[in-house]
Amino acid sequence: MTALRFLKGIGVFTLLVALHFLIRPLIATRVSIDFLVIAVLLASVHVRPGVAAIIGFLTGLIADSLTPLSLGAGALAMSAVASGASWLKAVVFGDNVVAQGIFLGAGKLAFDIIYLVIEGRLAMSDLLVQLLLWSPLSALVTGLTGVLVVFTFRISMESRP
Amino acid sequence: MARATRSGTRVDTVVLAACLFASLLARVLPADTRQAVAGPIRETFVEPLIRLQVNAERARGAFLTRDITAARLDSLVLRNAELREMALENERLRSLLGLGARLRTGFIAAEALHRPEFGDAHTVIVTAGARAGVVERSAVVAPEGLIGYVVSVEEETSVALLWTHQDFGVSATSANGRVFGIIKPHLGPDVERFLLELRGVAFRDSLSAGTEIRSSGMGSVFPRGIPIGIVVRDITSPGSYSRSYLVRPNVMPADVSVVMVLLPSSGNVENAWRSPSADSLRRAVGAAGDSLARAARLDSLRDTVRRDTVPPVRRDTVPPARRDTVIDGAARHIP
Repeated sequence: MTALRFLKGIGVFTLLVALHFLIRPLIATRVSIDFLVIAVLLASVHVRPGVAAIIGFLTGLIADSLTPLSLGAGALAMSAVASGASWLKAVVFGDNVVAQGIFLGAGKLAFDIIYLVIEGRLAMSDLLVQLLLWSPLSALVTGLTGVLVVFTFRISMESRP
Repeated sequence: MARATRSGTRVDTVVLAACLFASLLARVLPADTRQAVAGPIRETFVEPLIRLQVNAERARGAFLTRDITAARLDSLVLRNAELREMALENERLRSLLGLGARLRTGFIAAEALHRPEFGDAHTVIVTAGARAGVVERSAVVAPEGLIGYVVSVEEETSVALLWTHQDFGVSATSANGRVFGIIKPHLGPDVERFLLELRGVAFRDSLSAGTEIRSSGMGSVFPRGIPIGIVVRDITSPGSYSRSYLVRPNVMPADVSVVMVLLPSSGNVENAWRSPSADSLRRAVGAAGDSLARAARLDSLRDTVRRDTVPPVRRDTVPPARRDTVIDGAARHIP
């Protein structure tokens, strides 16, 4: 049963990573669903914070490899968010739809904040617009999509080994 | 039990710290090393994902142009009778206008992959690498002009630095080859960020708005003659030792999805961007118009001369003469 759940988790994670590279170019808007963040957060709540950090780091590195000039920014942001999610999930809430949506949306927002600050490419005005307008909207759609993914694949958010 | 929990927490903290440290290290690495780290990842694990992205972008392009395609198809069906003629004309126009046809050899056509959201907006991944013959510092162009140059090459892909990047620079000249300078991105606010600057122009030289700027061929990266942009206005700051001009680029990198990588073997590409259509056609039409006007003036002059030199005669006083017996004396006066 545990092996089956593990395989299912790997499958959903791979699918979400693939969707990230398949759906986002199709939509190509500034308000975008971050499937990588959803994948990492869903994985993080089922593993220890250290393992979550490694998953986040590797996923961030994959994303960064496409933008070599900002290499490391995504890895750092994803490690921090994944590890934080793993710690937070253990103490805060169980299977609650609203809480899950907020959890996933907040994760996306936190990722954007860390990523943009560490990357340091945007000017202050652009950074504010991104963080106050586009990132919250992206967080909203990411949260909603994440909840949809949880329901579609019947992923339990309640416990971790 | 408590000790095991504490130990586990400590391990988690150490792992997190290691990940953060590795990320920060990657952030401060020199650009070359960063490329060396990112390249193999892109070529191995991410390669299938890049292929997915390429297909997704193609699908999006097809979706966006479906109406235009349908309209074109309808037009083609309606003009079925002229299809052959149109095909021939199309082929002829392609051979006239196609940059690829003009360059003939020494280039590689590839797709440029952008990131649609925030992130590294000053580079694109080009889907041609060392296997296709791409080498570092190869110029990347579009039919409209310059886009950037290759900064790192992997087996199947390469990364191109766009002209929007602050480190980008190209030696440039006016289209007539008289004025030289260096093209750099204009780091102005908002929309002006997507303009270029022609710096270092000697004070004795001046350029008017609308002057075309091309690569000068100095510096070994960009061959001479690649169109870069059009001069917008003089932005020389008071007290500077040289003139600077704001230049509107010919190509906005975000709009480009297919590019050409010019190989070192491409040689002289100057004539590739000299479109035979616009200028020569305009000149030809102008010349034809001039000769028509000249011919009309000549005809009216002849009429005037004929009227002035031939005395008016009454039709009934002149006997009808056979054409072959009358010497056309009047006509001899006509110049």
